[in-house]
Amino acid sequence: MRRVAGGDRRGFAELYRQAAPKLFAVALRITQRRDLAEEVLQESFVAVWNQAGNYDPIKGSVMIWLTTIVRHRAIDQRRRRSNLADATAGSDDALMSLAAGPSDRADRGAELGALSRCLDQLEPKPRQAVLLAYVHGYTHEELAARLATPSGTIKSWIRRSLERLKRCLDG
Amino acid sequence: MKYDDPKLREALAGRYVLGTMPPRARARFDRLIAENAAFCAEVRDWAEMFAPIDAAAIAEAPPPRIWRAIEARIGPAPVVAPARAWFDSPWFDSLWLWRGAAGFATAVAAALLIYIGVAGLTPSAPLPSVVAVLTDKSGAPAWIARSAPHGDAVSVAALGRQTIDSAHSFELWAIAGGAPRPLGLLSSQPYPGLVIAASAVPPTGGVLAISLEPAGGSPTGAPTGPVLFQGKVFSNPL
Repeated sequence: MRRVAGGDRRGFAELYRQAAPKLFAVALRITQRRDLAEEVLQESFVAVWNQAGNYDPIKGSVMIWLTTIVRHRAIDQRRRRSNLADATAGSDDALMSLAAGPSDRADRGAELGALSRCLDQLEPKPRQAVLLAYVHGYTHEELAARLATPSGTIKSWIRRSLERLKRCLDG
Repeated sequence: MKYDDPKLREALAGRYVLGTMPPRARARFDRLIAENAAFCAEVRDWAEMFAPIDAAAIAEAPPPRIWRAIEARIGPAPVVAPARAWFDSPWFDSLWLWRGAAGFATAVAAALLIYIGVAGLTPSAPLPSVVAVLTDKSGAPAWIARSAPHGDAVSVAALGRQTIDSAHSFELWAIAGGAPRPLGLLSSQPYPGLVIAASAVPPTGGVLAISLEPAGGSPTGAPTGPVLFQGKVFSNPL
């Protein structure tokens, strides 16, 4: 990032080199399709180049800022297509083992640290809803279908889960 | 305003980061973030909270065609970068000028550096030139006026986000000898900035200043509020 800040196009190339592999993984996880993930990555970096004046250190680290841009574009791509919940229903993304509860993923606990500990305090289904939303970009409707639960219930699960996570992590 | 409620702010920011906010609501929220540091900080907190999930994702190298496509869209690559081009660039002078002038605030400086990075110091392409850097009372750079590589327009844009309430506007003034001349109202956001004719910019040595005015601008045609930012014109594009 210092290189980008240092002032030339090579800095931007370096930023891409460092950040793109993680961001590509994030886009793939949400879009579930390589062609769409590639498009998301390309669009995101062009937008970053055109609008980097909008980056403000108050927004957190550069990686966090980039991740938010990529996630939102990937989620938009995902929403343009229907029935994606089916495509990811069988996903064996290692992270989804988080949704299964503590016993399945002792080894990933350390990596995810406090977040993992706080997720454990949620009920199983609300925890799954939060993770499916964050990890795969599920909408309320997709969550309702996948978890066979009314959309209104999903919304209140998510609201309450976010409140609990925040309190847990702040505390 | 209802967004002053910290609980609501927290809940909205949580849904924004989680990704369950519908697209139109998210677009509105993007604008709130741009205007309001409290929302910005809230979003950052949530994003940092979930970040370990992304950090744990297994990186996957994108195919090389992606970077080629990005390069094709952001303009020509710097073929050679002789040191001379860098030292001769107006950017270099301006950097030292404002650096010397200011004990600069980290946040603003970082935003400026990124801005400069993004402007692309490609010696093969025509360089935009800095017309003036406007600093706040502490001397920290807060706005930049620069001319397009070709043409007679000057854009004035915030370096990072400037906060202002809806009852006020930032108004830009040209000061060169006589009474200040109004040049227009500025957006508090860094992009795209106010574009003015280069002929409206004071000659080298004159001053660009920004005052705080009632929303919509000074009712009298002269500054009525405090001057918050100002900077000397050190290179008039004409």
